[in-house]
Amino acid sequence: MKLVRVILTVAVALTLQMTLARYAVAGRWVFDLVVVGVIYAALYWGPAAGMWTGTLGGLTQDALSGDVVGLGGFAKTVVGYGAGVLGAQFIVARPFARSGAVAVATLVHRMIVVGLLAVVDRDWPGFSWTAMLMETGLNTVAGLLAFQLTEMLPGALEQSRDRRRSSLSRRRW
Amino acid sequence: MASSRRTLVLFLVLSFAHLLLMSVQVQARSGLPLIQAAAFRLFAAVQQSTSAVADAGQSFWSNYLALRGVAAENDALHKRVLELEGHMQAQAALLNQTHELERLLKLKESLVAPTLAARVIAGDAAPGALTVTIDRGSADGIETNMAVIGHAGVVGRVINSPTPHAAQVQLLISHNAGAGAITEQSGAVGPVRGGAGDPPLEMDYVDLLKDVKVGERVLTSGLDGIFPRGFLIGTVERAVKGSGVYSDLAVRPATNFSDIHVVLVILARPAKVEGGS
Repeated sequence: MKLVRVILTVAVALTLQMTLARYAVAGRWVFDLVVVGVIYAALYWGPAAGMWTGTLGGLTQDALSGDVVGLGGFAKTVVGYGAGVLGAQFIVARPFARSGAVAVATLVHRMIVVGLLAVVDRDWPGFSWTAMLMETGLNTVAGLLAFQLTEMLPGALEQSRDRRRSSLSRRRW
Repeated sequence: MASSRRTLVLFLVLSFAHLLLMSVQVQARSGLPLIQAAAFRLFAAVQQSTSAVADAGQSFWSNYLALRGVAAENDALHKRVLELEGHMQAQAALLNQTHELERLLKLKESLVAPTLAARVIAGDAAPGALTVTIDRGSADGIETNMAVIGHAGVVGRVINSPTPHAAQVQLLISHNAGAGAITEQSGAVGPVRGGAGDPPLEMDYVDLLKDVKVGERVLTSGLDGIFPRGFLIGTVERAVKGSGVYSDLAVRPATNFSDIHVVLVILARPAKVEGGS
């Protein structure tokens, strides 16, 4: 069941990433929704789920972008595991706190990627603080939306079920 | 407790596996083509359908909800069409004259390469990769290294092996993309490559003796064997001091890479480049 959740999270995050990136190709809007997916999995389902989401999402992303396969995979596995462990130690239950975790994870993830690129000495992609801040900001907003929706959805479903039940009982009466 | 220890061990194993995978590729200086091809094939199919949904939403918005100012825009477009028709007639006349001269001088006739329109269906999987996926592939005659242009200028080239109905295009502004270029008036030649700066293109190894002006147009030189000669790359924004007898030019691309929805693939077979990929 957890494996299905992990695969679904990766599929949704990657599909959204590629669909939205189509409208923001030149890099003015930088975001990485797979990182958001990884932190989502880590905070909701624990470090193992975060780690597997990071591995699967990162490797697929590497393969699709034509970069060194394993680079994004490693960075996302680390942040997935780390967020899962820290999320279990400290209670990170509110959407705002969780989106804060997304912000920190985005920064750590980017630092690991930039560091690894420097180590493997592949064509230096050009580090930009603006792009990094943009990525952190957009990922945080995306995370906040995802966590808020997840919190609201069960309540909204319950309310609509209650409304339907009460209208049926009135009709019977 | 046992479960968290098992997760930690698994985390260490996975991390080591990733590092091993990376080091293998760094030593071999190549990616993992099989994994990349499989991932691209899988996601191209998904993106075909999601882009259809996204396009439907966008079309509903632009065709029904955002119609303010359409009449004025229509008028402006009518005028632009008239202007362009005039330009086209002038260009056709010039082309006829060129062919006539080529025949008279017994030169090999220059050919206009056939093109194929393609829709952009997906952007980068990872931020900064600067590639897009188009909805045409090997079944439509698309091959690796074919040049891709837009309505304003050069967009990039096809990379990796295209699937039957999708292909990946590396944008010219990508940090490891490049093209042979020539400035229109001064005739300075050199490679144009993408980068992270502003503007995102740089023309290197330009002869210092060439009098290149700011605002001069930069065209493809055809020397790279990928881009046919004469397509617009951008305009010179400033000259940067290079090394020795060379100067570098900062080039503003003609294509707005944030807004590419439809592109044209030049179906001419690229010339074989010695040792190139």
